[in-house]
Order: sequence, then C-alpha cells, then structure tokens
Amino acid sequence: MASLGFIDGVRREIARMGSRPAYLIGMIIIPLAVTLFFVSLLSEGLAQRLPTAVVDYDHSPMSRQVTRTIEASQLMDVRYHAESYDKAMEKVRSGEVFGFFVIPANFESDALGGRTPTLEYFSNMTYFVPGTLVTKGFKTVAVTTSGGVVRNTLVSLGVDPERIGGMLQPVVFDINPLANPWMNYSIYLTPSYTMATYALMIMLMTVLSVCGEIKDGTSRQWLATAKGRISVALLSKLLPHTIVYWAVGLFITWVFFGWQHFPMNGSLGWMIAATFLLAVASQAFALFVCSALPNPRMAFSVCSLFGVLSYSFTGFAMPVDNMYGAIAAFSWTAPVRYWFLVFSGNALNGYPMYYWRLYMAGLLVFPMLCWVLARRLKKAMLNPVYIP
Amino acid sequence: MNPFRKIAGGFSAMARVFGNELRTIIHDPGVLLFFVALPLVYPIIYTLIYNEELVREIPVAVVDNSMTAESRQLVRMASASPTIEIYAQCPNMADAKRLMAERKVFGIMEIPANYSKEIGNGRSAHVTFYSEMSRLLRYRDFVSALADLQIEMTGEIAKQRIENAGMESFLSAEASLPVRSQSNFLGDTQQGFASFVIPGILILILQQSMLLGIAMLAGTSRERRRRNGGIDPLGVVAPPLATVWGRTLCYTTVYAAFTLYDLHIVPLMFNLPHFGSATEYLPFILPMLLATAFLGQSLAPFMRERESPFILIVATSVVFLFISGLTWPRYAMMPLWRALGDIIPATWGIEGFVRINNNAATIADNTRPYLWLWGLTVLYMCTAIAAQMLIERRENRKRTQCAGSSQVD
Repeated sequence: MASLGFIDGVRREIARMGSRPAYLIGMIIIPLAVTLFFVSLLSEGLAQRLPTAVVDYDHSPMSRQVTRTIEASQLMDVRYHAESYDKAMEKVRSGEVFGFFVIPANFESDALGGRTPTLEYFSNMTYFVPGTLVTKGFKTVAVTTSGGVVRNTLVSLGVDPERIGGMLQPVVFDINPLANPWMNYSIYLTPSYTMATYALMIMLMTVLSVCGEIKDGTSRQWLATAKGRISVALLSKLLPHTIVYWAVGLFITWVFFGWQHFPMNGSLGWMIAATFLLAVASQAFALFVCSALPNPRMAFSVCSLFGVLSYSFTGFAMPVDNMYGAIAAFSWTAPVRYWFLVFSGNALNGYPMYYWRLYMAGLLVFPMLCWVLARRLKKAMLNPVYIP
Repeated sequence: MNPFRKIAGGFSAMARVFGNELRTIIHDPGVLLFFVALPLVYPIIYTLIYNEELVREIPVAVVDNSMTAESRQLVRMASASPTIEIYAQCPNMADAKRLMAERKVFGIMEIPANYSKEIGNGRSAHVTFYSEMSRLLRYRDFVSALADLQIEMTGEIAKQRIENAGMESFLSAEASLPVRSQSNFLGDTQQGFASFVIPGILILILQQSMLLGIAMLAGTSRERRRRNGGIDPLGVVAPPLATVWGRTLCYTTVYAAFTLYDLHIVPLMFNLPHFGSATEYLPFILPMLLATAFLGQSLAPFMRERESPFILIVATSVVFLFISGLTWPRYAMMPLWRALGDIIPATWGIEGFVRINNNAATIADNTRPYLWLWGLTVLYMCTAIAAQMLIERRENRKRTQCAGSSQVD
C-alpha cells in the first residue's frame, strides 16, 4: 500500500481537509444541523388546535350545539364567531384562520321539518397540512350533526336506539394506516429530507475536494503523490471523507431510530448498511459529474441542481408513480431514492429483504459506474484549467 | 462641503456602482447561471415534477371473504371511485400483503365473511382497509375516497332501511339524510399538489437564486482581492452607503423581469391558481427583493471563495421552505424556528404572496408580512453597510501590509 502512494495520499487529503473550515461546515455541521432542524421542527408530530371561525346565521339551540361540537374538537380552535361569510373570508385572506364553518339561517327548523338544510364548510387548501386537517375536522362535525338529528328523530318515532347505528351507517370503513398508526408526519418528512440533504452535501463536498485541486492547480501534485495512478489518487482522496460521512450517517441513524423512535420493523443492520452505501453512492455520483465536467462551476451546478431536485424524488407526499414518465425515470438516477425505498420496505413496513434487495443493489451500481470516465478526469488533472 | 453637493456626489457614486455591478454580472457566466437560468428554468422543472397534481387510480387489492352480491356491489362502487383502481382480487390476506410488499398495490380492502349478513340484519358491517404509509398523499386520498364511498353506501342502504321501517315520511324525496353537508376548498380548489406547492417555491426561487448570485459575486471579488494585495481591480471606490444601495438597485433591476415572469407568466403557463392582482403582488414583493439583496450583501464577509455559496447556501433552501410555514403551520413550531423564520424575507414573501395569489387577498389584508418585509429591508441595509465597512477595513489592512512588506524588500 505504502509503495503505491496510498498512505501519502490519505495523509495529504487529511491535511487539506484540516486547512479549511469549509470541510468541517459542509461535511459535519450542515448535515447535523439539518437533521436536528427536521427533528425539532416536527417534534409535535401532528398540528392541533388550528384556528378556525364559525358563521352562525341561525342562532338556535341546535346551531349552538353544532358550534359547541366544533369547539370541543381537538383539531380545531374556534377563534372567531364571524357575523357573515364575507367577514370569515376576510379572516382567511389575512391568514388568521385556516377555514370556517357556515350554519345556514333556519337550520334548526329546516332540519326538523325535513327540508334538508346544507351545512357548508370552507378550508384554505393553500396551506397543505392545516387545510387537510381542518377539512377532516369539519367533515366529522357535519356527519355527527346529521347523525344526531336523525337519531333524535328516530328515537322520538319509537325506533330502538340500538338499531339506529346500523340503520344510519350500514357500512363502516376501518382504515388502518400500516406502520404509522399515530399518523406521525415527522416519520415521512424527517428521514427523506434529512437523507436528501446528507446526499446533497456529500456530492457538493466531493466536488469541492476533487475540482478544488483543479482550481488550485494542485491536481498534478495530487496525482504525483499517487504515483500517477488515478485509481489510487481517487481512493486515497475519497476514503478519509467516506469515514467522516459514515460517522455522520451513523449518528443520523441513531437520531432516527434510537432517539426519535421511528418505526424499525426490519433490520437496523441493513439500514446502517444502506446509509453507508448511500454515502459512497453519492460520492460516486459526484465523481462521475466531476469527470464529465472537470470544471468546478459546472460540476457544482449540476450536483446542486440534481441534489435539490432529489428532494422531490424521495420525500414528501407526491409519489413518483404519479409524475410524468420522463421525470419519474430521472428519479432512478438519484441515490437517495434507493435509500428511501429501503427505508420504507425494511424499517417502516418490515418486509423481508427479498422485496428490497434490488434497491440495495441499486446503491452498489453507482460506485461501479463512476470509473467509466476516470481517464477523462486524469487528463483534466494533468492539465488543470480553471474556468471561473 | 455643501450638503447638496455631498448628496449629489453620493448619488453619482451609487450610479457608478450600479453600472459597474451590472457589467460584472454580465461578464460572469457563473453569476448569470444563478441570476438568469435559475429563475427562468427552475419553476418549469418544478411544475413539471408536480404537474400531475392528483393521485389518481391508486392500485388496491381486494380480499372478499363474503363473496355475495352485496360485497360485489361494494367492490364495484369502490372501483368507480377516481382514486381507487382494483388491481387484483386476492383469495386471502397473505397474497394481498405480498402484492403490497412488491409495491404493486398500496391499499388492501378486506371484506368480512359476515358482510351481507350484517347488512341484511340492519347492523353496521365493518370493512377493513389497510393503507401503505410510505407516502402521505396516498393515505389522504384513500381516506377521502372511502369517506365518499361510505356516504354513497349510506345513502343507498339507509334510505331503503328507513323505508322498510315504515318511516318514509321522515325522509325528503331527494335526500337520504336530514342535513346535507358541502365541503368547499379555497385557494387550491382542486387540492392539487402543484397548485399548493409551486406558488411558495416561486418566491423561494427568487430569494435563493439572488442570494446565491450575490454570494458568488462576493466570493469572486474576495479572490480577486486576495490575488491583488487587497485591491479588487474590478471594484469601484465609493462610500459604503452608496456601494450598498448601488448594488441593491442593480440586483433589483435585474430581477424585475424575472419577478414578473415567475409570479405572473409561470402560473398562467401551467394554469395554477392565479387570482391576485398584479398591482397587489408586485408592490408586495418589492421589499422582499430589496431585503434579499441587502441580506446577500450582509453575508458577503463569509464568502471566502467563488464556490462558497454552493456549500453554504444551497442546503438552506429546503430549510427555508419548511420554516416558511407552507406545509407545517408556523404557530406549531418551536419558538427558535419561528424566530429564524421571522428574519428570512421569503417567509413573509411566501405568506403574503400565496394569500394574494391563491386567495385573492390584498396588501391591506397582509399588513403584517408587508411591514415585516420593510422592517427586514431596513435591518439588512444596516448589516450590509456594516459588512461592507468590515470588508473595506480588511482590504486596507491587507494593503498596508503589502505596502509595508514591499518597502522592506
């Protein structure tokens, strides 16, 4: 090993990493800061007591009962009793409430007289989570109210109260959210967004260290340390980084499953392996970009563009199957997508490895393919040209 | 000195800075990438990613343990829902679960053996639905599709039952229940994903691309100074206030066209919600652009190299998107993150713009974000001046050092 210049290369790289604060910030501080950001931002798991308004045009005992039902809901906080639709709409426009509930005039008499009044509710879908939750809360109130009216009437008509439930709700759907029965929002967002940031920073830092040599004009010296072998030069440069990324990745894995107790229904060992492979795959991806475009600005631009887009390919709500085919195809070039699929198959759903083995293998393809253009990179290293 | 002359001198220095900055930007392809390509191309890429809007026809497996006319009726009604596509009928749960593990289906509907018996007896039949949870959107759509299905079934069956009980008079002719309910969605009426997320992203793109470009200009200037003994050969000598304002006006001018493009043309191009008036959202966004330009200059001392913004700023985009409260309400955040959100121009920009754009609000409805943006403009103007003074002091120190060392030689 020593004769190949590998040890010298590693020593040289460690000295380079220590010489600039950018390495400390980009490799350790930013990934950890973003991890802690997501963990603490969504620590509540589910938003509650959303500000809402009620417009009561009826002012009857029954309408007051409806208002009380809304007030009693855990999801909603009735901040305003608006006198009209327009006043409530103003509150939506100024962002003071996320939705409002309208009880029409003559509600009680119409309901009891069989003239079918309509309860209307409005939710501001401009805000995704609050809008959805408010809709859900209002819907429950509307259904409860409707059921309550029928129940009272039927009881007064002499129907056996025990039979009323079946009469009104012939079919009940019991929906089971598998692996996340608490509907914890953090379980979706935190792992995917944190790991996408982790992968993004690895790509950027790899570009910094590889293309930085071309910029500084030190790439020839770097290659000379490795006795002119590009493979030794790259391995000795990237291995010290890999170890730092693995340590950071291990810490993030601990934050997810040890500290935050995200569901771990599969194997923790494979999850750690996937994280390690993600780090290497992201390095390999950036290396490929640097070889194709050995110019710091271009390589940085491509990696940031790709890294930022991969947030959309992995996390949050929109499934890739629902994107346009051409865009969905791109998602398979993002290493973090494979990590996410291993996470949902292994940790979240606890499927046997058979079902996610291909995604693990996918992560291995990146480090194998990144050598294709290594010769091109070597050429650029021998004649470093910095294009600002 | 005549105070009028002093003011005139300040303005002419500002004009020189403006012209010089514009020249620098035009001759720097890296900065042009941030200032031009990003606001032009990114909104299109993002909208294309999310443009399918709705999650439709999610594959579902059915395990029908009842195998009766009633249960087949339920499956038929479920498959009529736009959200649900019956991918397969499985003989047992194990098969259905395997399909789910293979990611062929994302939901399983299990109909119990006693389904038709319960319905026939006038009791509630319980159907179990399992939703795969790796994506939130699928679950949300399953819940609302099943709620609709339940209401539909209730309408059909309950009406029949109440009639059977001899109480038709109780029901009005056209409705099965005494109270109807009507759900209305404001702002994003189709509940589409692009319609919800793109207006916020547009504002964030304006802020982040401007910050990246300004930071790259600062890092490049720092490199030039390092090479030239503390002097930037492409710089202009001007008082800090004139320098900072000259640059800010230059950046804002460059962004005027892109702002119109991002906030007006992009929503039109993709048919996104676009209800607000341009006379409301353009004046609203002006202080955000000014505050962002000043914020970028305040960060200048941290940019040691041309490539620094890639390391320091790119990753902040996702943090700023979440901190703005677009997906997660701000009042439910930790005070620390709320405070950080308060000092980011895009937080207020997004808050005001989405209300103006999606809910047809006015600036008058959004006085709080509007005043915050002007407040941030003043705050960051002060920090930008301080940063500029710091940079100049560093320059002077380096210059005297260089002068000193050359004398010794």
